[in-house]
Amino acid sequence: MPKAYMGKFLFVDLNSRTSWTQEVPEWMRLNLMGGKGFGAKLLTDLIPAGCDPFGPENPLMVMTGPLTGTSAPSMRGCVVTKSPLTGTFLDSYFGGYFSPEIKYAGYDGLIILGQAQEPVYLWIDDETIEVRPAKHLWGQDALEANESIKTELKDQTVKILSIGPAGENGVLYSLISCEYNRQAGRGGAGAVMGSKQLKAIAVRGSQTVTIQDSDAFRRAVLQANTELEQSEDVQAMRDGGTAPAVDFANETGLLPCRNFQDGTFEQASNLSDVGQSKHLWLSSAACMGCPIRCSKMGAVRTGKYAGFITDIVEYESAALMGSNLGIADVRAVAHLVKLCDRFGMDSMSTGGVIGFAMEAGERGFIESPNGITLEFGNVQAAEYLIRSIAFVDNDLGKILAQGVKRAAAALGGDASAFAQHVKGLESPAWGPRGAAGTGLAFMTADRGGCHQRGLPAPLEVTGGEWEGKPVQALAVEGKAAMLISMQNYLAGTDTLVKCDFGGFGIQPETYAALLTAATGETHFAEEFDQLGERIWNLTRQFNLREGLDPADDTLPKRFIQDPLPSGPFKGHHFSVQDMAYMVKDYYALRGWDETGQPTTETLKQVGVQDLPVFEKKRH
Amino acid sequence: MPQTLQASQGLRLIAHFDLCTGCEICQLVCSERLCGGFNPRLAALRIEHKRENLVHEPILCEQCQNPFCQNVCPVQAIGPDEGTGARVIDPDTCIGCGLCAKYCPRQVIAYNKQTGKSVKCDLCNGDPLCVRACPTGALELIVQGGEHA
Repeated sequence: MPKAYMGKFLFVDLNSRTSWTQEVPEWMRLNLMGGKGFGAKLLTDLIPAGCDPFGPENPLMVMTGPLTGTSAPSMRGCVVTKSPLTGTFLDSYFGGYFSPEIKYAGYDGLIILGQAQEPVYLWIDDETIEVRPAKHLWGQDALEANESIKTELKDQTVKILSIGPAGENGVLYSLISCEYNRQAGRGGAGAVMGSKQLKAIAVRGSQTVTIQDSDAFRRAVLQANTELEQSEDVQAMRDGGTAPAVDFANETGLLPCRNFQDGTFEQASNLSDVGQSKHLWLSSAACMGCPIRCSKMGAVRTGKYAGFITDIVEYESAALMGSNLGIADVRAVAHLVKLCDRFGMDSMSTGGVIGFAMEAGERGFIESPNGITLEFGNVQAAEYLIRSIAFVDNDLGKILAQGVKRAAAALGGDASAFAQHVKGLESPAWGPRGAAGTGLAFMTADRGGCHQRGLPAPLEVTGGEWEGKPVQALAVEGKAAMLISMQNYLAGTDTLVKCDFGGFGIQPETYAALLTAATGETHFAEEFDQLGERIWNLTRQFNLREGLDPADDTLPKRFIQDPLPSGPFKGHHFSVQDMAYMVKDYYALRGWDETGQPTTETLKQVGVQDLPVFEKKRH
Repeated sequence: MPQTLQASQGLRLIAHFDLCTGCEICQLVCSERLCGGFNPRLAALRIEHKRENLVHEPILCEQCQNPFCQNVCPVQAIGPDEGTGARVIDPDTCIGCGLCAKYCPRQVIAYNKQTGKSVKCDLCNGDPLCVRACPTGALELIVQGGEHA
């Protein structure tokens, strides 16, 4: 095993309370690198086809990459499991301090199988693995549990993943709270953890991640840092994190407003860096090893919700819990998002679900509960719904805890006409009616409605250039090729595991130089695209095996049926023909047949077909 | 540029905690230099993350005037460096007993498993890596006992 890797996975079986390690096979490292690549292959090989996401066979995996835990700037970790929300592949990325600690404890990844008989937490102290009772922690919120475990272990430096009540209660879009208050947010990994009765994972490591060629590595790190400093996008992240995107999305008509009924919001600036810097922010904070420091820490000091510390309200949360609910008070939005973080539920999906419920209330699908009026702009209603969902203690909470797809089915009628999701994952905060390629991105993302697997929107709506040609926002020609290129590169670098924001500056040649110096094996800038293409076929194969219907490579009905009421792309909506054109083009360029299945030739060509099967040693 | 000893009490690091973002890059580069690989726990400085990460407080080796590390060392392996005044460990003398780390008031002395020796801040001979690597200027090398306003 070359340097930079630790060389082994830690397996823990909660049924038998046993643990063991297995070497990372050389073929796996050479073909899949780490992170998303390892996760996609392991998930495919470890679970029986069609397994229940809440069954003991579904592994909860936390993967690192070869550069995680080194001084290579802006690296992260990822959680991989089968999603209870979509029934398909789920990879959810997180920053903070947890993922390096996995490597310091001696592992490239954690693979947790089985289900405990009663609430437990896992304590990984280098090679000492303990399954500890957690009855006393059950019911605590995600941040309380973090504090309790540190107190119990008498060490404030232990790094912890934890779930809140939402994960315990099986809310399908529960998150995992990652040291500290970073979220593996999307797709319900927290509910999988809850189904295992696993409240938390605490790790402490005393080993080092070593580098083959330290001098070359230092030079590559300097180069990466220089590229970050030279990037305007990175500088913007340093100044205001993702918050300025609220104004950008508003000006370009992409901002979700009132459950995506509109694409602009009059009071958008209240929610952007303009409002947040005035009402919330006090300092900048960084994830481990990151010079960007995109996080803006602060506090709600005044008003009805005064007295709590808040992180930056990220764009996705500000939009989906703010404008999407017709709420313009950023302090109220910060309050709602903090409740989600504490209860351990994805604030993006929760915003989508509440937007759906508010519209359902206004349209008479749901009777407003006692004393609560389900209507846009009502903060009290939003808070009521968050609590109802997290604790599933009333009928409405039970329905909404299943996500908008299932909730719409439960309500019946034409409720699905305003259920904003793709394949069950609630839509991200980019209404794509003015950006055709962005629609295709959501139609084809491997975990459902996701903006992080390739987001053409900023290029499309600003008339940016792609490969030397101006990009037309509403054009469908060429969008599949552009998107595939983005998807491949991002999936390829999600093996490192890089942060998307670091990727705004750091060039593929520099990632390759970091890898070469770290491992002593030669890497090339081009290999990320190839790696990404391989992974994209691997996850597609997995999803098809698990029952994905390619007819679901589509958009929420609203984007097809309802013209955008305002903004520069007013009047536009997706046509069935445009969607069909792009999907056909996409399948063809991917080497998939007309029904969206990768062909045998493609699987061979991208190197999926001949990969060995990973076998776990114990059963 | 490396600083040299200009005052009798030598050089030391100070932290501007209000600029610290908690990224631990200082610890990463320090651990690699002292222990041959990355792990912030093995650095000769650390950051305390406080109040849900609203505040980050670097804890540094202060090159104490009353150095417990030097005082407890059973083999007199610790003494002032002629160039910087930093309290440095002579690896040839150090027996790796860990007493210096145990009694360090700031808890910033680490142990190198490979060499079996204790490691502490030696100010990188006057050009500290942590100061160079800090992205915000939160760490500074100063001359102790210098002119004050």
